[in-house]
Amino acid sequence: MVRISSIGRRARLLCSVLAITTTLGGAAARADEVTQDRLQNADKEAGNWLLHHKDFSAQRFSSLNQISSDNVSGLKVAWTLQLGGIEGGGIWSHGGLEGTPIVEDGFMYATDGWGSVYKIDMHGGKGRLVWKMDPKTDHDWAGAVACCGVDNRGVALWGNLVVSHTLDGRLIATNKDTGQVAWQVQVANPDHGEVVTGAPLVVKGVAITGVAGAEYGIRGWIAATDLATKKELWRTYTIPGKGEPGSDTWKDDHNAAASGGGSTWVTGSYDPATDTIYWGVGNPGPDWDNAYRPGDNLYTDSTIALDFKTGKIQWHYQHTPNDPYDYDSVAENVLVDVGGKKLALEADRNGFAYAVDRTSGEFVWGLPFVKKVTWTKGMNPKTGEPLEYDRSQGVQRYNAAVTPARDHKIADICPGNMGGKNWPPTAFNPSLNYWYIPVIESCNRITVDETKGPAKAREFFTGGGPSQPFRITGSVTAIDVTTGKMVGKFETPFPLLGGMLATPDLVFSGLPSGEVFALDAKTLQKKWEFNTGGGVSAPPITFTVDGKQYVAVLVGMGGAWDKWFIDATPELKKMAPSSTLYVFAL
Amino acid sequence: MPLAALAAALLLGTAVTTLALAGTPRDPDAEGKAVYKRANCIGCHKWHGNGGGGYGGDALSLRRTQLDREQIIQTVSCGRLGTGMPYHLRGAYDTIKCYNQTRSDLKDLMPPEGSTFLRPSEIEAVADYVLHHIKGKGEPNYADCTAFFGDGSRVCNIYRERAESAAAAGK
Repeated sequence: MVRISSIGRRARLLCSVLAITTTLGGAAARADEVTQDRLQNADKEAGNWLLHHKDFSAQRFSSLNQISSDNVSGLKVAWTLQLGGIEGGGIWSHGGLEGTPIVEDGFMYATDGWGSVYKIDMHGGKGRLVWKMDPKTDHDWAGAVACCGVDNRGVALWGNLVVSHTLDGRLIATNKDTGQVAWQVQVANPDHGEVVTGAPLVVKGVAITGVAGAEYGIRGWIAATDLATKKELWRTYTIPGKGEPGSDTWKDDHNAAASGGGSTWVTGSYDPATDTIYWGVGNPGPDWDNAYRPGDNLYTDSTIALDFKTGKIQWHYQHTPNDPYDYDSVAENVLVDVGGKKLALEADRNGFAYAVDRTSGEFVWGLPFVKKVTWTKGMNPKTGEPLEYDRSQGVQRYNAAVTPARDHKIADICPGNMGGKNWPPTAFNPSLNYWYIPVIESCNRITVDETKGPAKAREFFTGGGPSQPFRITGSVTAIDVTTGKMVGKFETPFPLLGGMLATPDLVFSGLPSGEVFALDAKTLQKKWEFNTGGGVSAPPITFTVDGKQYVAVLVGMGGAWDKWFIDATPELKKMAPSSTLYVFAL
Repeated sequence: MPLAALAAALLLGTAVTTLALAGTPRDPDAEGKAVYKRANCIGCHKWHGNGGGGYGGDALSLRRTQLDREQIIQTVSCGRLGTGMPYHLRGAYDTIKCYNQTRSDLKDLMPPEGSTFLRPSEIEAVADYVLHHIKGKGEPNYADCTAFFGDGSRVCNIYRERAESAAAAGK
């Protein structure tokens, strides 16, 4: 861990000035200051989009209903705004947009891939840039060790601060009114292959940060920083240290755990009732050479529940033990109460959707949500474990006919290593109890390269690599959470790389080919579509300004697709990088 | 072309040549490095040229390459058949045959088009840069890194630390 030890005289002076300003402003919190009470009751502020996943439960459901299945066909562009951050850096030829904007009282806070934050005044039916905070991210330092694009998925609000991350590992607090950086600390270290792409989760004035870098031999973690003192409260490693619980799941003799991966780059969820954070953990490293790291490799490919105060792991549920496929479980856990059960829902890269009891981590139900799964013959209906999982074996082979291994160096797997669902978030409709998954219907080819020696700093540590001999498509797949059964699949010609938004009778999403669309929430029939002309790799949101409902989405292809996976969707080669905010209204 | 225009073109050509000769000699290394950056060689081969597999692609190591100057020029110009190495010469496989083939001959083996096209002189410059600064070198070090990025780049932190700890261990 590296922290900026000195924030410099000017910055300190600024902090002092800010402190005085705050004091002069009076002790009472301003109406627009963000408090834990407001965050916990985000659903009561129907016109706002206050948290990354809309609320702490990560449902991405808005109760706004001015735009409905009956009238959505009349949805039109209200205004657009060009953003920046399109420039390349490191191994990346361009940046893109994957963010979920935050909206509070008619103002939007959006980010571009290099971490610039834009405050936009949306009153009066138009968008006006109020300020832009450019963190001057170190393109070479960070861009060279970002496995999967120049990405930043958004901000969080707390008090009078806009809290954000940068790819080069900083946590930044920006004054919401002025756009001036109030302070910043270094939380991740690109020297170790660590970068940060996720939005912070702020709970009770504490920013929770996840890290990326499981392809670069990191040892993953989740860290909590007190926004009042700027001090780190806890840092929980996702790969246990020697002697800690779970360390016996690393059975090798060469300390594979030290570079064991387990990144945490998707923002988690929080249950105030139990003061518990739910977070997904990424793949083990090296990705495709699981003989290098015999054992289940906890807590990779797991959902973990952490005590908010201490960061202590309460329970874990692992989806793909000793993973040889790169099937991260970084996905958000959606917290829902259905049929008297308190569930955490997770749609895993391995192609299966899981419901576990979020108080205990016990498996409740699961099912494949993609059209084709080959890596396992199925799931144990009692435990959710892959049928071939053999506890007595260090190295798992699952369906050995298709599983990459040192003696099976070229293997075709379904889903492909990008997963049946990647980071793009799901959405949940609490009236229908339908859960909508943005799906990548995929297979791809893995070539294993036996790992020789330990990870080298800032170099790929993957034990092989993927290629794309197969066409990849997508779908919106709906699951009825009351029954745990699939109830609909709307197929798309390209994978869903942006994520979902649910409203009372609609679901919205977008495609890398440029279309933003709305489906009927029950039937999944397409009700509206608009082609933005740019690749959509960000989730739509909805909100009101001056009492009128809008839908917004960031447009501009971000992420790994056009570098690593484009051969699976050759038509997308013609899509140009872009960086635009689209806002729609009736 | 009318005679006057031809004469003007020849004169202009002469003038340009003369200017180039009379000016400060260009630094071939700097030009080659600039091309290496602009043509996104870094995207797969990395700044140090070691390439490697990883998340996608499997770029060959330019530090361990056996290719000579002509072969490097050909590879940058025409790409490599059936691989992700793009071609960078305008007209390659169309008006200019590569490996004695045209686009219609190759179908699936056709290499991708580079993100930028390079002039022949730029291709020579980048080939010379690879020959002088990358080919045959061992593991990348702090001097290599600062030569590429300049002093003060944090990309070079790890190489400086490595050198310092090696020096300390040697004491």
